[in-house]
Amino acid sequence: MRIMAKRKFDGITIFLFLLPALILFVGILVAPLLASGYYSFFEWKGFGDSKFIGLDNYKTLFKTFTYKNNEVPFLWSARNALILALCSVFIQLPLSLGLALLLGKGIKSERFFLSINFLPVLISTVVIGELWRKIYYPDGGLLNSLLRKFGVLKKGAQDITWLAEKRMDGSNSTLLQCVIVPMLWQYVGYHMLLMYAGVKSVPPELREAAKIDGATDWQVDRYIVIPSMKQIIKVSVIFAVTGSLKSYDIVSVLATDKTRIAAFPSTLLKDQMGAWGRYGMGSAIAVCLIVLCFFFAVVIGEIFKDREKV
Amino acid sequence: MKKILAVLLVVVTAISLCACGTGSKDKITLTMWCIATKSDSNRASYEAAIKDMEKKYPDIKLDWSATENEAYKTKIKTAVAGNSMPDIFFTWSCAFLGDFVKADKVYCLDEAYKKFASSLDEKMCKNTTYNGKKYGVPLTMNIVGLFANMDILKEVGYTDVPGTYEDLIKCCDALVAAGKIPFGCAGKETWCVTEYLESIIEKSCGAKTLDDIFVNGATWDNADVTKAVNIFQEMITKKYFDPNGVALSNDEIKANFMNGKYAFYMNGTWNCADFAKKEGFNVKVAEFPVIDSSKSQLGQLIGGPSDTLAVAKSSKNAAKAAEYTFELGKLICMYGYLDGCGLPAWKVDYDESKVNALTQSVAKIVAASDYMVLFGDTAMPSEEAQKYLEFVAKVYTSEVNGKQFTDGLKAAIR
Repeated sequence: MRIMAKRKFDGITIFLFLLPALILFVGILVAPLLASGYYSFFEWKGFGDSKFIGLDNYKTLFKTFTYKNNEVPFLWSARNALILALCSVFIQLPLSLGLALLLGKGIKSERFFLSINFLPVLISTVVIGELWRKIYYPDGGLLNSLLRKFGVLKKGAQDITWLAEKRMDGSNSTLLQCVIVPMLWQYVGYHMLLMYAGVKSVPPELREAAKIDGATDWQVDRYIVIPSMKQIIKVSVIFAVTGSLKSYDIVSVLATDKTRIAAFPSTLLKDQMGAWGRYGMGSAIAVCLIVLCFFFAVVIGEIFKDREKV
Repeated sequence: MKKILAVLLVVVTAISLCACGTGSKDKITLTMWCIATKSDSNRASYEAAIKDMEKKYPDIKLDWSATENEAYKTKIKTAVAGNSMPDIFFTWSCAFLGDFVKADKVYCLDEAYKKFASSLDEKMCKNTTYNGKKYGVPLTMNIVGLFANMDILKEVGYTDVPGTYEDLIKCCDALVAAGKIPFGCAGKETWCVTEYLESIIEKSCGAKTLDDIFVNGATWDNADVTKAVNIFQEMITKKYFDPNGVALSNDEIKANFMNGKYAFYMNGTWNCADFAKKEGFNVKVAEFPVIDSSKSQLGQLIGGPSDTLAVAKSSKNAAKAAEYTFELGKLICMYGYLDGCGLPAWKVDYDESKVNALTQSVAKIVAASDYMVLFGDTAMPSEEAQKYLEFVAKVYTSEVNGKQFTDGLKAAIR
């Protein structure tokens, strides 16, 4: 009887301790999620009368892929986010891994190089956006100046308008590529730090044993260090992919929220809710974004699970 | 001992709370949101006006904050949606405020207006009057002006701003031949493109036609509009515009103009203050010349009173806030005009001799005008305005021509 009472008391105690976190979780995450889901079925300006339209908002989002002929280029924005995700996984993460392996070897001034590479993560994204705006600035910006110096841009040739939605001479826009580069650059240091921790956690005895067996540095990294970092790599891949889907700030600074060609789901969401006053549509985009993030997190988890079994 | 301490703490806290209560009993706190951020040219006029209001209304404390233009649009709409509006809020006239009025979120100002009717003309409230009721207090008003850097024009033989369209084209040709860029226009901010396009459309098909399209439900399917868009694109083709402009913001274009990169800059007359302050900057302002004199004439302008203060219906002190808003609006208007940030929507009953020469030129243009068409993106409801802006952006980058512009807007809007 006394044990039963104690268990009951323990249960209440645990519940009470968990309650604040539960309230925060429900209030900040679950409730807005449910509200977004609810509003996504309405045509609503955010105030005044709303009209139930069922799945019409979702149908509009998935109507067409070509951004030019679509008022809400959601599929185009999802395509841009996936391009960024692929670049993150196949360019950014290998770079981070390479740096982590290099620094993990205990090279001279290891701390210094670690800090330098991590620095962009500490700088405000808006500041980074403004910094890259100066690099891409057409008239005397760093990039165009370098191109002129090395003769790529001939004397008297028109400046390249890197951040134009569409150039005046009709040539293709480089806006998306220009937005992706700083986003990749900024978070190399972040993933490097995660992986560096993984590299450092490998017991030195294992490295030494491999060396005694005649393994080269690359073989030690390939067969000892990288396999033991699988969980960290998995976390980095999840962060890189979901982070790509949620990208907003640098896009907003470099391409503005109204961009069509470099639209990402979050900029589209802000534009639809803010400028267009379409709260229902914005909510539908938010729901799709959440679903996509969960979907990729689960898929990546499954991919790594299979590898682990193998 | 612990118990005594606890009792003492409770008593002290209770006394403090009571003291707070009695101290603020007679003083009302009104909240206000606006867009006069520290970098905004209107900031000084807001600060001066609020300082005066503190003396005039010692029983009212104004708790105000400013948010950047684009972010503010989202902020105020979210507040309206969540019924968490401040007592007084900045808004744009016509459709923007109209949406809030339609949703019954704005306090009617008819009663408060009676006290100020002698100093605020009824016609200045036209853009904030819905179903015959007034909902907004106008501040300054602005038009689109053709600003000209006279030092650059002098280099190609012009001592004044070209007064006719033919003369303007000749001047632009001369500038291009001399290796100068006639116009700068920010492609990153589509409203800047509308400043050019709307002026050209108005001076091609007439103010009434454009006004009918913007606010009276007329169709976009108009041959004169098509022709005007083609004229604008011809100017782009003839290299009258800085090709780098497509990748620049308005601040960057404005800085380029002030640094002598362009001969002309078409934008709102709120810029007069900044231009007048720059030492040695020889600038004049004029209205865009008439393109088709059979349909348009000088004195037809783009602009009008748009910057407005309104009172939330949810305000606990709405009646008091309404009177306060009129007084505040009048002062902001006065200081804004004296600073050269725009023309007064209110009657002038103070010394205006110190207003900068550029703003005085604008005042003369407005005094001689007979028709003002409000900026398209302000006049139209948000959904229509966004569709319109999308097509305007495509015109600037030559993705659509005049026919595709009018056909597209006909299909998308009317």
